[in-house]
Amino acid sequence: MEYVLETDQLGKRYGSRWAVRDCTLRLPAGRVAALVGPNGAGKSTLLHMAVGLLRPDAGAMRVLGRNPYGDTDVLSEIGFVAQDTPLYRDFTAAELVTMGGKLNRRWDAALARTRLAQLGLPPDRPVGKLSGGQRAQVALALALAKRPSLLLLDEPVASLDPLARREFLQALMGSVAETGATVLLSSHILADLERTCDYVVVLSASQVRLAGPTDELATSHRQLIGPRHDGGPIGGVAAVVRASHTDRQSTLLVRTDGPITDPMWTVRDVSLEDTILAYLADGDTRASHTEWGVPA
Amino acid sequence: MIWLTWRQHRKQALYTLAGLLALAALIVPTGLAMRGTYADKGLRACLDGLRDGNLSPEASNTCMRALDAFNEQYGGLTFAGILLLVLPLLVGLFWGAPLVARETEQGTHRLVWTQGISRRHWALVKIAAVGGFTLAVAVVYGLGTSWWMAPLMNAGHLSRFESGLFDMQGIVPIGYTLFAVALGVFAGTVWHKVLPAMGVALAGFAVLRIALTVLARPRLMPPKVRTHLVQGNVGERGNLVGDWVLAKQVRNPDGSVVATNAEVSCPPGAAGPGGSPCGRDLGLQAGAYNWQQYQPGDRFWLFQTIETGIFIALALLLLYLAIRRIRRIA
Repeated sequence: MEYVLETDQLGKRYGSRWAVRDCTLRLPAGRVAALVGPNGAGKSTLLHMAVGLLRPDAGAMRVLGRNPYGDTDVLSEIGFVAQDTPLYRDFTAAELVTMGGKLNRRWDAALARTRLAQLGLPPDRPVGKLSGGQRAQVALALALAKRPSLLLLDEPVASLDPLARREFLQALMGSVAETGATVLLSSHILADLERTCDYVVVLSASQVRLAGPTDELATSHRQLIGPRHDGGPIGGVAAVVRASHTDRQSTLLVRTDGPITDPMWTVRDVSLEDTILAYLADGDTRASHTEWGVPA
Repeated sequence: MIWLTWRQHRKQALYTLAGLLALAALIVPTGLAMRGTYADKGLRACLDGLRDGNLSPEASNTCMRALDAFNEQYGGLTFAGILLLVLPLLVGLFWGAPLVARETEQGTHRLVWTQGISRRHWALVKIAAVGGFTLAVAVVYGLGTSWWMAPLMNAGHLSRFESGLFDMQGIVPIGYTLFAVALGVFAGTVWHKVLPAMGVALAGFAVLRIALTVLARPRLMPPKVRTHLVQGNVGERGNLVGDWVLAKQVRNPDGSVVATNAEVSCPPGAAGPGGSPCGRDLGLQAGAYNWQQYQPGDRFWLFQTIETGIFIALALLLLYLAIRRIRRIA
């Protein structure tokens, strides 16, 4: 399988704090991948390293087999929509399309114009006067006009209302289906991702907790409910991701490696969202206890 | 990239040109009027005569009065001129500081640096365009104020070498402007918001300009010293040749200092109250002399060149550091 984006023991440090640490990740070509994690988990840092804005402090970042930092050849293969979809606010959408043509060797201005026309965006109004959803669409059109192999989007829908969010994701999915680009999309809004993404990377407290295709995640995770569990092995369970206990009963979210036959346990399917939340909660509380000087 | 630079800065360029035109509207009419008066009163011949010392006493007096009148009439313009000293700083603040800081403040650096060109390319084109434009503005400004101030500088009272007047004419404004722009750009790569970058550039510019003016400029070359006797002195002539007097003292023959920042002249044959020798009540003994440390007026362009060179070198250093820093901004 070909990997569009590979990281190996990747790390980035701001002062003494690691924003991303020991991150090893492989993103197969043709996927629409969600990069999920709470705010401050290092999603933006990871994406900035992928698009060559940041140089890693440890490990390696490879996009299309090459180090993207300072490499304009790789850069021209990456479409990037940064957080809050920054645009020159006094430029009109038409001027931004012209700008893209001046700054890129490969530039499909017709594609951008067609998209913006379909969305009914005015070409001659400064984009600062457009709505947030419209600006996001302009930013996406600019990224797509590069005809990228890899499309990176940093929280593209975080500041949009639900309707604009849905429209944006629909537009994204439609164009990805046409161009076949690999997409890595960071977000902390899980509900949207379930519909749009076929691959998930969970980043929490600067480390990758989980990475894999959504259908595999769905089949390999189960919720078990049964009598209070003391931590012993359970047949068919590879790992307990999250456990909660009452006096007599335990509820476990587990990763399975086989059928669970023990009749003691009631087995239920779990949604992708619940799986992701279980992994996120797993990495949540490690640092803060020592930082606050209280016992964990 | 050139298109983008033009598109981003065209409005600002227009405002700057409008500012230059407004400046021209001030200095061209007043400059022409000054020149008219200068020619009408025959001041050039007067000054040549005074400098060579070949005028009759009456002619000399007439000339002095004419020069006084001229300075009286137009001397106020130097204050307007001193206000112009802030112009290089303003150019630096409004052209230099936002160059990177506005991009990072609005996040657009993530848009423009992830297109198909390198950041170095972006920075070089931007700096070349903005630097070239501000250089042209500074040349027009420097030459314009030199032309404007020339009659006043030659009218015997003021020396173009003095602090403040030196700084607003000739080629030093070019050095200051480029330095201010470079400092603004560099500050913008360290402080990623426009206002702090401007503030730091302002403070840095003011500190360095004042430090170099007060501490370094008088010592760029060893000053010369001249002395002339109190008795029989006809008055200061330094400004006729544009000297920059750094220190003045009145000394007794044994070298002891009687007064600082002062000059005493007693015309030949003059005497103090009650027929006592001139200046006795000040404590002056016979043979007392005026002592002056100065930079001769013919070093003006040499000093201009050295100071411009210092500021341009600093500007280049700052731009180099700025380009290095730009590679690390995300």
